[in-house]
Amino acid sequence: MFSEQACPTAQGLLGPPSTEPPTFPRVPVLGYSDCSGPFQLAERSFARQYAHVYSVRLAGMRPVLEQRARRRWGQDVLVRKLSEMQAGEKCCVVGTLFKAMQLQPSILQEISEEHNLVPQPPLPKYIQPSDELILEDELQRIKLEGAIDVQRLVTGTILAVYGSEQDDGRFVVEDHCLADLPPPLPWNGPSSDRFVLLASGLGLGSGSGEALLSTQLLVDVVTGQLGAEGEQSCAASISRVILAGNLLSQNTQGRDTINKAKYLTKKTQAASVEAVKMLDEILLQLCTSVPVDVMPGEFDPTNYTLPQQPLHRCMLPLASTYATLRLVTNPYQADLDGVRFLGTSGQNVSDIFKYSSMDDYLEILEWTLLAGHISPTAPDTLGCYPFYKSDPFILTECPQVYFCGNAPRFQSKLLQGAEGQRVLLVTVPDFSTTQTACLVNLRDLTCQPITFSSFGAEDED
Amino acid sequence: MADELYLENIDEFVTDQNRVVTYKWLSYTLGVHVNQAKQMLYDYVERKRKENSGAQLHVTYLVAGNLVQNGHVCHKIAVVREDKLEAMKSKLSTIASVHVYSIQKALLKDSSPLYNTDYDIVKTNLHNCSKFSAIHCDAAVPRMQPDIPRPQTSLQGSSQRENDTDAPSTATVNGHGPLAAKHPPQQHKGIMGMFAAKAASKPQDTNKETKAEAPGVSTASSKPPTKNNIINNFFGKAAMNKLKVNPVPEQPKEEKEVVKPSVAVAEPESSPHPAVEKPGKRTESSRIQQKDRKSKMKHVDRSDNEEERDPENAKKKRKRIKQLESDSSDEEDVPPSPTPEEEKALSPSPVAALKTELEPASMEVSAGGRKRKRKRVLKSKMFIDKEEGYMGKAG
Repeated sequence: MFSEQACPTAQGLLGPPSTEPPTFPRVPVLGYSDCSGPFQLAERSFARQYAHVYSVRLAGMRPVLEQRARRRWGQDVLVRKLSEMQAGEKCCVVGTLFKAMQLQPSILQEISEEHNLVPQPPLPKYIQPSDELILEDELQRIKLEGAIDVQRLVTGTILAVYGSEQDDGRFVVEDHCLADLPPPLPWNGPSSDRFVLLASGLGLGSGSGEALLSTQLLVDVVTGQLGAEGEQSCAASISRVILAGNLLSQNTQGRDTINKAKYLTKKTQAASVEAVKMLDEILLQLCTSVPVDVMPGEFDPTNYTLPQQPLHRCMLPLASTYATLRLVTNPYQADLDGVRFLGTSGQNVSDIFKYSSMDDYLEILEWTLLAGHISPTAPDTLGCYPFYKSDPFILTECPQVYFCGNAPRFQSKLLQGAEGQRVLLVTVPDFSTTQTACLVNLRDLTCQPITFSSFGAEDED
Repeated sequence: MADELYLENIDEFVTDQNRVVTYKWLSYTLGVHVNQAKQMLYDYVERKRKENSGAQLHVTYLVAGNLVQNGHVCHKIAVVREDKLEAMKSKLSTIASVHVYSIQKALLKDSSPLYNTDYDIVKTNLHNCSKFSAIHCDAAVPRMQPDIPRPQTSLQGSSQRENDTDAPSTATVNGHGPLAAKHPPQQHKGIMGMFAAKAASKPQDTNKETKAEAPGVSTASSKPPTKNNIINNFFGKAAMNKLKVNPVPEQPKEEKEVVKPSVAVAEPESSPHPAVEKPGKRTESSRIQQKDRKSKMKHVDRSDNEEERDPENAKKKRKRIKQLESDSSDEEDVPPSPTPEEEKALSPSPVAALKTELEPASMEVSAGGRKRKRKRVLKSKMFIDKEEGYMGKAG
């Protein structure tokens, strides 16, 4: 999208200096409203049990699922609770799924002395053929069998199953359905080309120099320093930059103070201090030129449980003087120039990846949208705040751009829904390994990756 | 010709200084638009090569364009050495831009010198890093600083006190002489130039004012908050910490210089219990400089407090004294401690007492209660003196 416009003047800077080089104004922000209210935690009390999360989730999604069930299996399908079921009767039950996995890391087993177990090393996937699915509703639970893909589903999904209970207490499933896409939002997008740059996994503080120049090139392109005039004028139509998590690298997370002797670590500084300073400088360069939304990720200095709270502005003293810097939560939802964005830093998708047979990040992203919930595996295997009033991860409105950060590679897909929903699904790749960021065009919901490269010691082609 | 100047400059940078001259570095150094810098570099290369074909010049280019990769069309931006330029251009289906990225004498093995050059020049120009860029953003304005009014309040406060202290000005001069001398050098290091100049140039009878301002501004993050703190929230530790955060974005550059003093101030300030705030600070601070500044702050603060709130807080103070006595250390409250009120109130009080402000200042904090007690006692004596010998204990 950049290139076509920029081609005519591509070689323009290969010549003697001109007198008045043009300066392009950044496109003004057409409209911005932050819809991440539900993800911001006011008071944080961990005194409650996590069971409340599941009960509010079920209560919140039950009406939607019953409606879908009736649409799918007929208006007169019997929707029963588990306690009211009779053996042999075909009915539909709505409940929460629980997948009993043998390989699932269990803290109780680890610390149990009678087992004398060594803690299990982290595996890429914890699924096994012997996993079982159990459906729970408010009062009871029942084992599921039949036409249901055990490997694919994960704990915490709310779904409706159609089948009948057998005499031995198992439920044989004939069909099941998820919540499907939420209702669509009206389209208010811009009529001319406007771009939003999505990048994630900057990975500062990793100690590797290669990615640093690519990061610098990224900043230079966005701020209009790099490129010929055509490219700079295209870059001026980037109206926002969203950094989707993992601004710091995993290497900054090592805690030497735990493993090493005190005399070795007494005067050392945490690696994240230096990395945050670097981040501050990079954000300052970006903020002087474009509005930036910074989402925290898995390795960033904020809380671990979802929803992650924004980074504190005292860590970014230089950049936070600018109003263009916005420190936002993970997950993040906002209306940018009339287009509804919803995205996470990737923890939800990578957690589902570990506990399901789905391998493709884009497929998992689509599946979460169809399941109507951003992160069903929280709080089971992914840390989560013990909500008790309502579950903010339930999708009530269909976003128009749905992204997840820190994916292994770039993928995008435009999903069309039955009720007129149009969603652009984007998996934003990890910048420190792929040197790729994404440009989303808000006018027509298309996405293009931008790759940066430089030359290294070995000859690249 | 003026135009030729840039050619000479680039020549000097590349050949004489043996630098890696990137377009960004050139743009900041010569103060020109980035596009002009790129064109200047290209011009220089062309001319140099025309003149002297054996020129020792290595050039890197930036190429951008569309590339079909993994099934999608991706926009590729690459920095390439001159010898790989054509190869990269041929790989791209459409070329969006080509320009010179850098010139250097030696052949670069990898791109880290390029990154380092740009990093260094940006680091020294952080406050105007988008000045020479081709895109200008109207929305990017620094936020209004909420703590700008603070120096004003300190000025007003100190001027008030100044009126009270007109009579004993000589005493103040004596007492503050040595300390004022110490202050300006500290100020110069840590604070904005204008306040330093102000403090240095002001006459001695305004020493009070400068002292009040100087510690406030010199520590820059602790004084204003301390002042406001005292005024708004008597010994409010939370308010202090919060206010400390605010001034930080105000002076990102001063921050580094002021960090040490402010950290030293911050540490003691944040640790103690609010009621014992002042004494706690003194005991924990180990640097005399910090002590000086703090003592000044404490002087000012306590003077403010005691003047403004004497009647109301007399009881409060007494209670606190009782608590403090148990906490404070013994060694520091033995000598008599002249305080700002004392200095203001008295005229020819023992000069020695005033000159030992340094120590009394430090002692004050740890045994703040006892100090206050002693102050009050001395004050009454001063009243006695003032009333020319009449024995009348005023409290």
